[in-house]
Amino acid sequence: MIELLMTVLSTTFFVTVVRTTTPLLLATLGGLIADLGGALNVALEGMMLVGCLTAVIVSVFAPWYVAVLAAVLAGALLGGVMAFFHLRLKADIILVGFAINILAAGGTVFALTLATGGDKGTSINLTSKAVPALDLSFLGVIPGIGDFLVRMLSGHSILSWLAAFLVFAIWYFLYRTPWGLWLRGVGEYPAAPEAAGIPVNAIRTWSLLVSGGLAALGGAQLAMFNYIGFTRDMTAGRGFIALGAVLLGARHPVGALLAALLFGVFEALAVVMPGLFNWIPAELIRMIPFVVTILALFLFSYRALQARRLRSAGH
Amino acid sequence: MSMTTQAELSRRDRLKTIRREAGRALGAALIALGIAFIIVLFTSKAPLEAFNVLLTAPMSRPRTIGLWIDDVAKLTITGLAFSLVFQARQFSMGVQGQVYVGALAAAYVALSPIGATWAGLPVGVFCAMLAGAFWGFIPGIAKVKFGANEIVSSLMLNYIAIELCNFLVRTNLPKPQPGVLTTNNFPETAVFPPLVDGTRIDLGLIFALVAVLAVWFALYRTSWGLKLRLVGHNANFAEYAGIRSTAIMVSAMTAAGALGGLLGSMFVQGQTYGYLTVLFEGNLAFEGILVAIVARSRPLAVPVVALFYGYLRQGAQLMNLRTDVPSEVIGVVTAIIILLVASSFSMPGRQFWARIMGRSAAAPALEAQK
Amino acid sequence: MSALLEAIGIGKTYPGGVVANDGVNLSVNAGEVHAVVGENGAGKSTLMKILFGIEHADRGELRLDGKVVSFANPREAINSGIGMVFQHFSLVPSFSVYENVVLGSEPHAGIRFDRQKAIAAVRALSEKFRLSVDPLPPVGQLPVGQQQRVEILKALYRDARILILDEPTAVLAPQEVEELFVAVRALVEQGRTVIFIAHKLPEVLEISDRITVMRGGKTVGQVAARDVTEQSLATMMVGREVALRVDRASNDGAMACEIKALKVKSESGALLVDDLNLRVHAGEIVGLVGVEGNGQSELLEAIAGLRPIADGVAYLDGTSLSPLSVLERRARGLASIPEDRIARGLASGSSVAENLVATRLDDPRYVRNGLLDLKAIKANAEKLIERFSIRVGGPGAAVSTLSGGNMQKVVVARELSEQPRLLLVNQPTRGVDLGATQFIWKSLTQARDAGAAVLLSSADLSELLALSDRLVVFYRGRIVAAFLNSDTLTPETLGTYMLGIASQTPEEMQGGLR
Repeated sequence: MIELLMTVLSTTFFVTVVRTTTPLLLATLGGLIADLGGALNVALEGMMLVGCLTAVIVSVFAPWYVAVLAAVLAGALLGGVMAFFHLRLKADIILVGFAINILAAGGTVFALTLATGGDKGTSINLTSKAVPALDLSFLGVIPGIGDFLVRMLSGHSILSWLAAFLVFAIWYFLYRTPWGLWLRGVGEYPAAPEAAGIPVNAIRTWSLLVSGGLAALGGAQLAMFNYIGFTRDMTAGRGFIALGAVLLGARHPVGALLAALLFGVFEALAVVMPGLFNWIPAELIRMIPFVVTILALFLFSYRALQARRLRSAGH
Repeated sequence: MSMTTQAELSRRDRLKTIRREAGRALGAALIALGIAFIIVLFTSKAPLEAFNVLLTAPMSRPRTIGLWIDDVAKLTITGLAFSLVFQARQFSMGVQGQVYVGALAAAYVALSPIGATWAGLPVGVFCAMLAGAFWGFIPGIAKVKFGANEIVSSLMLNYIAIELCNFLVRTNLPKPQPGVLTTNNFPETAVFPPLVDGTRIDLGLIFALVAVLAVWFALYRTSWGLKLRLVGHNANFAEYAGIRSTAIMVSAMTAAGALGGLLGSMFVQGQTYGYLTVLFEGNLAFEGILVAIVARSRPLAVPVVALFYGYLRQGAQLMNLRTDVPSEVIGVVTAIIILLVASSFSMPGRQFWARIMGRSAAAPALEAQK
Repeated sequence: MSALLEAIGIGKTYPGGVVANDGVNLSVNAGEVHAVVGENGAGKSTLMKILFGIEHADRGELRLDGKVVSFANPREAINSGIGMVFQHFSLVPSFSVYENVVLGSEPHAGIRFDRQKAIAAVRALSEKFRLSVDPLPPVGQLPVGQQQRVEILKALYRDARILILDEPTAVLAPQEVEELFVAVRALVEQGRTVIFIAHKLPEVLEISDRITVMRGGKTVGQVAARDVTEQSLATMMVGREVALRVDRASNDGAMACEIKALKVKSESGALLVDDLNLRVHAGEIVGLVGVEGNGQSELLEAIAGLRPIADGVAYLDGTSLSPLSVLERRARGLASIPEDRIARGLASGSSVAENLVATRLDDPRYVRNGLLDLKAIKANAEKLIERFSIRVGGPGAAVSTLSGGNMQKVVVARELSEQPRLLLVNQPTRGVDLGATQFIWKSLTQARDAGAAVLLSSADLSELLALSDRLVVFYRGRIVAAFLNSDTLTPETLGTYMLGIASQTPEEMQGGLR
């Protein structure tokens, strides 16, 4: 237990948490944007997966940032497909979302086979690139805390910094710009923006495009930093965990950050625990993020429900 | 208007609906296959051969026909499970997890002393259904008692069930030699007898047919089924009419869970395996979504859709083995079919294209999200 | 003087084949209040939606300032100076007043939404047009009358020269209507033009300069307000003489329902029904008068078992209802016609037969051992379709294929198929055509005469005055006045109490409370 505590309090664990949280956070922000626009995006998983594959394949031929950009565009494209079938052809958003997940699960393996010339399931024969880490070792010159700062802040993926910035940017967008007002209005009561001449369907389409792009950005981090390369189903439920984080995040970017951090911490625990406790079966450790998500979901939903009940039940 | 002509009219109406829906489904399948063909055309060295295998191979030999029919039985069960929850307008996605816990329960029974007696088969099936029902009950009760979103909780339970199965197969269940990830073969008494020797067609097919009738009867001939459908159409109305919609939702998810558990037992107690191994279901459980959507959640249509889709699925597997086209291309076909059938796409085409080309002036206020 | 806005030969057929507009003409002059009147379903709303770019005409043309225009969407209409206030407000409840007003045309500095400027603009507008409302609180917390002002401010903020008000008085108490009219006159004085959709004729005659009458999707004529009387206008609207009168109850029944010190709270904890006492006798209709949102609906929902009772008791024939489930209440003779038939009263995807039996799924006539008796269910449906003359293809047809009036008849048929002891009725004829309205009124009074105690809530004062034997007025969840119905009771009297301007003393109420 002491060992675990020591590990958790160490700066390396913090670095691990940042690494595991980043893909979740990006996908959660994507889910948040869709949710605020009035659509529960169950396709985050598939969008992340497509982001992973696109990033890996493009990075073989192009610089890392082109690969990341390509992943974002691929995710946005899937968002566009969702928007088209949901908004134009009036299909149920949840069914559309699962169709996208199925498409992504099969399509990525299929595309990988083509790209590698026959390998099914891993990109081990492709030399894909990584997202560079941001080196902040110059902070070491600060007397006293310099060393600590370097250990905490240096070496994170550029995308982690981008994700942190996006939390702020999305908050600013939602609460400080007119378009944020539009998006929130569309999600809460679409008749109002419609009557005010705001193009409701265009806003919804944009929210799904951005949602897909952010989820795929999370996928790029996963396949170009957390791991280098692609394996089939490598997102392993992270998109669904992010969906849970969206529900936990109380429709606010900071809430989304906290929820993603919660799940990121437990995923990080699952990363470090095998080294510490080799007597705990690996399967049970791998279960941790899912168990935590479901428990957090139950607890949070229950508290919200209680609060509502208390207020209307009198006494 | 006399009674007979009215009955005649309603029958004609129903026929018309069936014809329209079947046309839509076939149209969607053709479009999806067309797209798949174009993909194969550009990526395969022998595209025509690949497509030939996809479309004809399942029928080519008794053994492959057996594989196909076995898939149909399993797709029917998962399609029924999804149909039940969809009719109650719940989006529980937990069939996969239910399959794993059902298989675990069946394996524990089959490998226990009971397994070697005549009771091995029925008790195994029963315990599998019980376990599946319990796994389906959790997201239901959590939704009703806590307000927890059933999509997320059922998906999490899928992953948990898979890891649970991995864990127990590796550490707890008896196995032929250390290190392998399969259990001992089940005793003969716990394995479904084959219906056609030399194929995988077994008792599971009978279970599937019985399940179709049972679900149809439950939905359209019992008050529980009527309540379930009313809850699905409008839960607010159901509450107002005095129907306990929460109990109906939970029971629908639990019943669907029992079907998922049954499917688990059909996998491991069936001719295909006869033992439990890790990751045995090959993602078949999730394909029930497609079957249910194309069947419009109508239990009697489910086996028909399963027949067609199972054929395609088997064809894809064979194409994977015999040609350079991987079976995953079928995922693309599946997704396109779901997208087209679930949307307002319609065969005659004119309205469809008009919609695509513009005129987006539909009233969005009407479809405010929940 | 040439017309500011003209619609010529407008035709519109909805995809379902419903002809909503068929050669409609409208000509509105600058600076006038122009009323468009007609029954429900006459095509007024469709015409307004076409003027505002929500719907598109199949035929005909629009002219603004003599130039042909067409609006692809509301934004284009807004840019041309047309503003619209819908009957159902288009406000985002959690947004503040000023956010709602500027939504879609926000003042901004760079990419930042300039809140201070928005607040100042809203303050200035509300002073200029005498529409006082605080810009800061969330709209969801405001009373209906103020929400309407927010809607008008929204249009004025966008510099609307022409303001379309769609049935603006439907949700207001008579005194609030007066305030609205003050604002409308202020608008016209400042050079704006108002198009006023309505079906309450006295108001139309009071506020408008000219009137266009519509019937069955066509324009019947255009008249100057000073040239017509209420009666002649009504005849134009309906095409025949109408008399909507209903006989009062004659018998004095035993007490059926007693409500004692009842409290109901909202999800956010606000008191919606506050310490309410009321008795209802068999064979009488008690009308619940009040501006919408003063607790009438919540009282009915609490009695029906759809909302928790926070405190107090409601008795039906001496049994307390609180511990009983919806089904147990129904078994004791409670029936209810809910406010919103599509959201609450029907499963519109299900068949008519299934809807008609949905409240009786524990009745051995239709369900035995958990199995449905399909023959009995069908026979029940056929009987009720006949008795309530519901226009439908057959018992198996989906409810969604019916018209609004026939849908409401399905609800009424189900609730009155067996004689209730206590009948709760909320907005029985909202959005229902005249024929169905008469039929539903008759059904309600028949149920009363057969011994039902009826609680009736309606936004339509004339409906309440026509049907009720007694009336109680709700203000902020309390009863502030009670009356025995008589020909001398006027909407204006009720209005004073509806707005909380006056309230009766307990002694004064005695007569009306029995």
